[in-house]
Amino acid sequence: MDVMYYGDTLIVDLPTGKTEQVEFSPEMLTENGPGLAAGIALYRDHEDGDPLVFGSGLLTGTTAPASSLGFVLGKSPLSGELAVSPLSLFSGAEMKLSGFSMVVIKGDSPKPVYLWLHDGVADVLDAAELWGLDTWGTTDAVRSEMGEQLVQVVSIGPAGESPSKLSAYSINYWGSGDTAALGARMGGKKLKAVALRGLGMLDAEEPQDFYEGAKGLLSEAPAWKGFNKACEGIDAGDIDGWLKPLVHRYRSCFACPAACNTFVKYNEGPSVMESTGVEEPGMLVTGAASAAWLLSGGWKAEPACRAMESMARAGIDLIRGARELAGSPLDDASETEEAVGGLSGGEEAGWPGGDSSPKGLFGPWVPPLADEDEWLLANRIGYVIGICPTYLLASGMETSGLFGLCSSAAGVELDPSMVAGMFS
Amino acid sequence: MRVKVRPLNCTGCALCELACGFHWDEAFSLISSSVLLYRAEEKKDYMGVIIKTEEDLFLGRPEGTAEMKLGEIQKQGAGGGASAKPILIRQTCDLCKSAGVEPQCVEICPHDALYLE
Repeated sequence: MDVMYYGDTLIVDLPTGKTEQVEFSPEMLTENGPGLAAGIALYRDHEDGDPLVFGSGLLTGTTAPASSLGFVLGKSPLSGELAVSPLSLFSGAEMKLSGFSMVVIKGDSPKPVYLWLHDGVADVLDAAELWGLDTWGTTDAVRSEMGEQLVQVVSIGPAGESPSKLSAYSINYWGSGDTAALGARMGGKKLKAVALRGLGMLDAEEPQDFYEGAKGLLSEAPAWKGFNKACEGIDAGDIDGWLKPLVHRYRSCFACPAACNTFVKYNEGPSVMESTGVEEPGMLVTGAASAAWLLSGGWKAEPACRAMESMARAGIDLIRGARELAGSPLDDASETEEAVGGLSGGEEAGWPGGDSSPKGLFGPWVPPLADEDEWLLANRIGYVIGICPTYLLASGMETSGLFGLCSSAAGVELDPSMVAGMFS
Repeated sequence: MRVKVRPLNCTGCALCELACGFHWDEAFSLISSSVLLYRAEEKKDYMGVIIKTEEDLFLGRPEGTAEMKLGEIQKQGAGGGASAKPILIRQTCDLCKSAGVEPQCVEICPHDALYLE
């Protein structure tokens, strides 16, 4: 299957360090469905190895609006149940372009390793010198080793190595939406990082139809900057106004018309546009929920952002960490690192003023912008076809157009009820 | 007439790179486009857009725009990383004339960061 699903499924056996590439069969797609549905089937096939499955959706990496989404699937140390967390920013698309749509990582390694996926090649590499580094140091070290600054690095910090149930994997420097402690599963496997870089090419079955269809959807797709639009109608506060004095620029995930991610600078002036000698001027805030918790707790923006940076560096779940910190706002930025070091992990993930309980397979990364059934369907559709569920809900985009793209992309006919059926 | 950049409008979604790559290859990749999103200084959030033409590169840097002759860029290096296909061996922008359509990078950008002038 080489239409949209570029390359093979990779099986990584961590106890031996060996890898095997298995052709992604068309039967996998027709019997189980694409994206997360295929990932769950692969998980079940290899369940005896307590795997983590890294995967991407059918449209991930294309011009379909918000087609940034990949995923990590595994048994959550928090619930003991199967859970999925997002690969956002450029990591989902980069994974697909690396030549692997699905990667099954089985067993535990006897020593620290990291997985390097690039151009259809998979290497299990020694991570002895990375072990003990925080996620910023790990990202820098991997990129330096590869001589390439565009490598996407999904890594764990000290929290994941311990492995703490408060941990989360981080995407490059900026944390992630991992609220299921899958970072701790990486730590238990002695898997320090998965590094991704791809110069591959994704083919559509009917390329012109696909491209014109995607462009048509994009022409009507709402575009915005900041978090407020993605939190409309829920009790998240004015996150954009709170961050405004620190805002440098807004950043999109791959192929997304919305630029929710907000880069804030507090180690140099936010309006400084040149590349200066300040190597670490600030933080890309990627999660509305963590910001919302700190805002609701009365934190000022600068110490709050420093606290989010500390959590991202340590590889701590920013949502649960921020919720725990929210009740004790700090004014002195120097105190935030100590406060982060003292986190107990006693809080569940969730949103201020909303239902805070984890919702089975999906964590609360996606804001509760709709009733539970609609929210669940958006998550299912998003992870199956590779479209950010937050964008689906916040933009109000009709899914029929996206399902039409699945047809021209790979001849896959889908509708909401079919997607729901993949999870029954 | 050429494609120019409003760098501070850019949010780094890479749709321009994808659209341009599709123009050349009828497939989706980040390796063949005449438009390159510069994102190699991620920790600094220093991001810009480079467009390759026959004569020069149009640089949409956050601090302002500039045109640079190809010889100059060869000396300084550019392209966003070792495995990013070097800008100098990429296709040169033909304003999508070979496909008989308007420049696709301009059409697809959600934030009007690219324009014709």
